[in-house]
Amino acid sequence: MTLKARDNAQWLAALRSSGAEQAAALVELRAYTLRAALFALRRARGALGAMGRTEIEALAEDCAQEAVMAILKALDSFRGDSRFTTWAYSFAVNAALMTARRERWRRVPLDQVIEHGARVWAASGDGDDPERRALEDETATAVREAIEHCLTERQRQALTAVVFDGVPLDELARHWGSNRNALYKLLHDARRKLKAYLEVRFSSPPQPTLPGER
Amino acid sequence: MTGPDFEGLLRHIRETADDEISCTECFALVPGYVDLEIAGRAAAAAPALRQHLDRCAVCREEYETLRDLARLDAEGRLPSIDDLRDSL
Repeated sequence: MTLKARDNAQWLAALRSSGAEQAAALVELRAYTLRAALFALRRARGALGAMGRTEIEALAEDCAQEAVMAILKALDSFRGDSRFTTWAYSFAVNAALMTARRERWRRVPLDQVIEHGARVWAASGDGDDPERRALEDETATAVREAIEHCLTERQRQALTAVVFDGVPLDELARHWGSNRNALYKLLHDARRKLKAYLEVRFSSPPQPTLPGER
Repeated sequence: MTGPDFEGLLRHIRETADDEISCTECFALVPGYVDLEIAGRAAAAAPALRQHLDRCAVCREEYETLRDLARLDAEGRLPSIDDLRDSL
């Protein structure tokens, strides 16, 4: 298919029109989003495991269609600070990579990952292991203390899963029936608490050592 | 077991700002930023966006994919739909 070159205003006008002009614009938009979805899924191929070409093509078709629907819904929010096609691509990339991440983590029991993260966390902080303690510097110890003392259990779980175990934000959000923004906010609040704790901790001047304590 | 990556976490803690943009705000800003990058004019643009991309792995993955896709398109080197299908 030869795609017609349109500037931003022409894209908006065509998509807001009716009849043949709108239909032609929709077909072209669909081609743009399909190309972007295929590009993104090819790049995320490793997340799709043993999935064959036909299945990935079907996923790309679904993502492309989902992107077109999202674009039409968001048309009034297009600010014109990018090319229309770059903006349109972003919806397809988002749909494709969310799908790839979901596929990658679909068979991973996140409850177990969260539980395992808590066990690793507890084991790595084992105060009876002098060898491990020796490996940990003062800063790591302070971060550990801050995490233990300042965060809620939910913040601790999210931090461990996302930062240490690499669980994608959107997958953890989906698992908890939440959303990406809310989870980012949860982690941002957690980081702010940790930062405040560490600033106080490291702003204290070193205590003088009494001769008897050497 | 090497234990948790405190160094990476510590850097994120140190650079935490009181106000940070959300993933939705990031999504809205990324296309404009990508086009500025392609035009070579993004150096000092959108510090809040760049900060979010540094913190948020999923937004970063989407941004990097969009950047590479849009750059190939701008250069006329983006593979066709058929070529992309064949390379799956």
